[in-house]
Amino acid sequence: MNKKVIQYAFMIVLLFSTHAAVAQFTVTGTVTDAESEEPLIGVNIFHKASQKGTTTNIDGEFSLELPGDTAVLRVTYVGYITQKVEVSSSNNQLSISLAPDIANLEEVVVTGLASTVKRENLANAVTSVSAEELVGASPKQTLSSTLYGKIPGANVSSNSGAPGGGISVKLRGVTTINGSSEPLYIVDGVYLNNDAIANGSNAVTEAAAGGSSSNQDNPVNRVADLNPDEIKSIEVLKGASAAAIYGQRASGGVVIITTKRGSGGKAQFSATQSIGFTTIQKKLGQRQFTEATADSAFGPKGKALFNEAKANDRFLDYEELMYGQEGVLSKTQVSSSFGNESTSIYVSGMLQNDEGIIETTGYEKQSIRANLDHQFTEKFNVSVSSNYIHSESRRGLTGNDNTGTTFGVSMVATPNFVDLRPQNGVYPAHPFNTANQLQTRDLFSNVEDVNRILTSVKAEYDILQADGNYLTLQFQGGVDFFSQNNKLIFPSDLQFERISAQPGTLVETNTNNLNTNTSLMLVHTYSLSEDMTLVSQGGYTSFNNDQNTISTVGRGILGTQTNVDQTVSITNNQNRVFQRDRGFFIQEELNYDDTYIATVGLRGDKSDRNGAVNKIFYYPKASFAWNISNMDFWDGDGPIDNLKFRTAYGQTGNLSTFGAKFTSLGPSNIGGLGGILITNTRGTDDIQPERQKELEAGFDISAWEGTANLSVTLYQKNISELLLQRELEPSTGFSFESFNGGGLRNRGIEASLDLTPVRSNNLNWNSTFNFSKNVSEVTDLSVPAFDVGGFGTSLGVYRIEEGKSATQIVGIDPVKDSNGNFSGEITTKKLGDGEPDFQLSWYNQLNILKNVDFSFMLHWKKGGDVINLTELLSDLNGTTADYDDTDLTFPDFVNEAGGITDDTKNGVKRASLLGVTTRQFVQDGSYLRMREIGLYYNVPSKTLEGISSVLRGIRFGVSATNLFTISPYRSYDPEVSNFGNQPIAQGIEVTPYPSTKQYYFHFNIDF
Amino acid sequence: MNNIKHRISIASILLLALSFVSCNIVNIEDRPDPNNTALQTVVENPSPSEINTLITGTESSLRTDLRIYHINTGMIGREMYRFLAAEPRNTQVLLGGGSSELDAGSFYTTRPWAAFYTSIRNANILIESVKTITDNNAVSEAQRNGIFGFAKTIKAYQYLMALTMHNENGIRQQDQSDFFSTGPLMSKADSYQLIADLLDEAATHLSNAGSEFSFPLSDGFADFNSPSTFLEFNQALRARVAVYRGNFDAALGFVNNSFVDASGDLENGVYHIFSTATNDVTNPLFSNPQSGAGDSYVVHPSFVADAESGDNRVVGNKAILRVDDNGDVNTASLDGLSSDYGLFVYKTQTAPMPIIRNAELLLIRAEANIHGSSPDLSAAEDDINVIRNAAGLADYSGPQTQQALEDEMLRQRRYELFFEGHRWVDMRRYDRLDELPLDRAGDNVWESFPIPESENL
Repeated sequence: MNKKVIQYAFMIVLLFSTHAAVAQFTVTGTVTDAESEEPLIGVNIFHKASQKGTTTNIDGEFSLELPGDTAVLRVTYVGYITQKVEVSSSNNQLSISLAPDIANLEEVVVTGLASTVKRENLANAVTSVSAEELVGASPKQTLSSTLYGKIPGANVSSNSGAPGGGISVKLRGVTTINGSSEPLYIVDGVYLNNDAIANGSNAVTEAAAGGSSSNQDNPVNRVADLNPDEIKSIEVLKGASAAAIYGQRASGGVVIITTKRGSGGKAQFSATQSIGFTTIQKKLGQRQFTEATADSAFGPKGKALFNEAKANDRFLDYEELMYGQEGVLSKTQVSSSFGNESTSIYVSGMLQNDEGIIETTGYEKQSIRANLDHQFTEKFNVSVSSNYIHSESRRGLTGNDNTGTTFGVSMVATPNFVDLRPQNGVYPAHPFNTANQLQTRDLFSNVEDVNRILTSVKAEYDILQADGNYLTLQFQGGVDFFSQNNKLIFPSDLQFERISAQPGTLVETNTNNLNTNTSLMLVHTYSLSEDMTLVSQGGYTSFNNDQNTISTVGRGILGTQTNVDQTVSITNNQNRVFQRDRGFFIQEELNYDDTYIATVGLRGDKSDRNGAVNKIFYYPKASFAWNISNMDFWDGDGPIDNLKFRTAYGQTGNLSTFGAKFTSLGPSNIGGLGGILITNTRGTDDIQPERQKELEAGFDISAWEGTANLSVTLYQKNISELLLQRELEPSTGFSFESFNGGGLRNRGIEASLDLTPVRSNNLNWNSTFNFSKNVSEVTDLSVPAFDVGGFGTSLGVYRIEEGKSATQIVGIDPVKDSNGNFSGEITTKKLGDGEPDFQLSWYNQLNILKNVDFSFMLHWKKGGDVINLTELLSDLNGTTADYDDTDLTFPDFVNEAGGITDDTKNGVKRASLLGVTTRQFVQDGSYLRMREIGLYYNVPSKTLEGISSVLRGIRFGVSATNLFTISPYRSYDPEVSNFGNQPIAQGIEVTPYPSTKQYYFHFNIDF
Repeated sequence: MNNIKHRISIASILLLALSFVSCNIVNIEDRPDPNNTALQTVVENPSPSEINTLITGTESSLRTDLRIYHINTGMIGREMYRFLAAEPRNTQVLLGGGSSELDAGSFYTTRPWAAFYTSIRNANILIESVKTITDNNAVSEAQRNGIFGFAKTIKAYQYLMALTMHNENGIRQQDQSDFFSTGPLMSKADSYQLIADLLDEAATHLSNAGSEFSFPLSDGFADFNSPSTFLEFNQALRARVAVYRGNFDAALGFVNNSFVDASGDLENGVYHIFSTATNDVTNPLFSNPQSGAGDSYVVHPSFVADAESGDNRVVGNKAILRVDDNGDVNTASLDGLSSDYGLFVYKTQTAPMPIIRNAELLLIRAEANIHGSSPDLSAAEDDINVIRNAAGLADYSGPQTQQALEDEMLRQRRYELFFEGHRWVDMRRYDRLDELPLDRAGDNVWESFPIPESENL
């Protein structure tokens, strides 16, 4: 986009150079970097009144002929703060030094479908994350995990420690109850598919067979496929006020990803190798048994096994056996940029091979990218981006089940005195569980294989370039195709398969997904006067999605075959999803001297997700920014360089989930006869999108030459016509229906403080604080309170209730009488809240003695409760590490209700209170985490020159992610979600894949 | 001037773009559900084959969540334990452990209820769909009667299952023609009346349904797939309803109209069948009796302890001694409960599950003869002896009193109909729930399941 600005400048020079003036004078000068004093090449010098301009040459020199006697020149250069310089015929020899733009005020931010705005002029709190910040101090496995702590207002949370992703990103609180809460990801114009497709392990775990029908297969949401190293920048539009122009798909916010592009000229290469290892973040420990406790927990058999173990002094650390692998991590990234005057190309390749902390688990990814830009004529240019990705993840078998088959559920049933290790290749049967987790781990396989292609093309044609009038036509098209194959093999030798009627289970799930999107846009820039510019734009957009999933479960494996037809019985399932959206938008932006910037816009959208497929829903927006520091009276003598007030309003929609409008009968066969049975969800003929209305206001201050920057934003977003699923009276024959109703409100504050406390030759220290707090409330609910996640009231549920926080956790609890004793009643009440009180991250980058980079990020999440059911399952099995301790205490009336005392063992206490209270499961999920830390050394350029003249840079270092976590939470990690990405019910833990930390060594070479 | 011209031309381009958006090229097609049959297609003048798929779907649906229903009745009736480490509510709440209460929102309450009413809705859709068929040649009057007889019998059966669980709390009558409505909560007595009326209406339909059904039923109805034989099934259910209501004289009449047969196989009857075919289900209660304690079905110790010696229905049949690889007894324990015997009522994953069978009918006849207005104790004893003899036991030799024969009748129901959903119901209707054994201090025996929370009552 900067290139375009330069082109415009050229045009302007050409257009106006023919105009003759009566009086004129020539200005000459040089432009240098204020710090290094080196000349700057290609700096724009522009005289607005006469529309004359030029650029500096290779020595930083320029010469410009101007009309009249005096003039004000605008000196602009990417990465530097713009300067206004007064010149006259007597003051025409200039020496301009430009200060680096530490505060990024000049950065160009992508804010709309076809437009960009200088950060200085933004009316929204749009967060940009650069490539450098993205990769940060230490590499992450997937894109989402690079965003932790870098976006105020974003709640990034991992679902488990399983390799390969599964991370939820929520912007500015709860945006929906039943729709999708994930932001819309747009990569170089491609509307990315971010679905999480279940792998089908439910066929064995039957996790959904109990109280909950939600997907508990621990799926990966597909944004994980992107390679963070290929990304140049990420812009995050956090709410409707910024994202309104994206209409009905933007309620969760929009994440605009721009990948790296080539620069013309000589080929440059860069190669990076990282190697490292991963370990479990935290071990829970195991219960230390005595003969008596082994007997009481596991009966006579437990006693016998305990005595056998004791006699042989053979107590095993199962966490070490199961989760103790130091998995090797490796990532190789090579890229090159090259081209000529009209063409530039960027190519990149990446190989990643990560092991997990559980043997046989891991994640592999290969990605190649080619981005090409070509200027056909001065008026016509085309950009093509293409990316092929292959990923393979082996995520093991963790989380909830109803069959005792997952690693986690097997682990909680395993006391340290049993020996499950194979003897001569034969795995002993687990004496207290249906599965021997060591056997399952070693013999079963769960592989997810994804092949994906992302391609986009952008063509721009300048229709008109005259008299301060610029009209550009832009076409964008994007394709995202992926094919996902999930293959699960449960050989017939597994303990739980051996006893099955049809031993051995194969699950094969294939999904093909195609997203296509196109847009055609016109952008018109028009200078009304020398101070006033109008930018008008409008366009048409379309989006199509087709997804087809075919899943086959074969039971009764023939020998060791792995094709699903090599089984005794087969169950097939096919699910198709489609979506067709059409929309248009218009937007008008007025800029008065970079001082007042006002924008109004309107988006109209229709979709076949709605009941009325051709009804257009409108989403307006308006914003206003006031740059006080650009006003004439502002002398700029004080410490404040830049002060801007801004406010913005906008609306977005959120489409219903597929099928909400259908009332259907599904297949239900018996004895070879084909039957159809009414499904439990009643369709809603008139379903329409949710509507989010957001108002935000804030200010940005930049002071002391950009070394201190504060940005504060307050927002309120109201979501109405929520897509609610109401529980119908099941005696109607239907259990659920979707409808639009109710309202939800989020209020929040985001603050970002960016400091450069030290800026010298030997030490450069940049420090950023990001703070955010969000409070939600269900303002209106036309239905009785209902639950949106969890395993029933007694185990803790997320309940939507009018007047309450949208993320409240409700459970049962005894009622106190007036004397403070147990009244005999058990009530249902709020026991926690999933939403954090606030989040604060602190990111530091230090450059020491020019060649050493040290950076780290601390991330503090205060509050946010998690339902810990891992502990419950451990207690019921009598294996919790603190089972025999007595330090956990409850109020007297709770003790009374549960028939326990303060001296009762912790494990017995918690188990006794099951069905009496839920408070023992609802635990504080606060944490302080060292998200990333890294130390790098850049080989000095003089040394490089000594080695080879082609070398541009060598850098090496060490880093770690999640180095430590301090948390009161009593399980592996408060960042957990048994049900995957959920709009609300995120924090529920049932025996997950434990969270991990990573250590890396890096080596990077540029030439 | 130039500027104005440009503004005009740009505005016209924008207008063009806008008109482009609203023209037909970008109209969106309203497509139906790609994955399932739309309701509209079956409720508006359906074809006979669509009617048949609705009937099959209704029959198939009777099996939904039967597992939970049987665990509920089997646990509370102290017939068995469902051990599942991952689901503590089975061993805590169902047995009334500690101060826990049956929860109106938990799966054991909500899922069977929803399953019964889904079947009823499917049957109601079937009835209403048939009514819209305008062509009498497509479906004749007799054929319609056959369909209505089937649908109403099935509805009555599902209402009865719901009432069995919810008992004193009653049930609701679903609105037959408004697919999205339901009726008020009815008392237990009114609920029984509804069930009895539906069965009686169905009987009338079946009597006017000619000699053949127009639709197929699965092999579970192998001997009951014509109007006359299906009527025998209808009368069998009617007899069960009558004894549940204490109408023993009426029960005697109904049971004799049913397929009761003292010389017939005790297993004769109507069944849910299972298969491994596509979109079919396997028997959800089939489980290896030796499976790990963390996920197992085991026999309540009292079932073995209380058994008469020589009863071939107990050890080695429905109760299998759990042994480990060394041949040692492998007691299953969880949550303070334990058992040495694995439950083995269904021997394969395609073993059929009875809806009602001859053995129950003989015991219903015995019960009616014991408690009828003119008791016939020796007739009752004869029927009981058929059951006893089949189990390898000698004829009944106890006192020939109403009380003693009631005890024996209940005992035979306990052993013969073990884990078929009867024990809890029987003990409840004879007000004997206090005789059921409690395994842990603080346990208790529930009498009725609450009405699901989502009924908003």
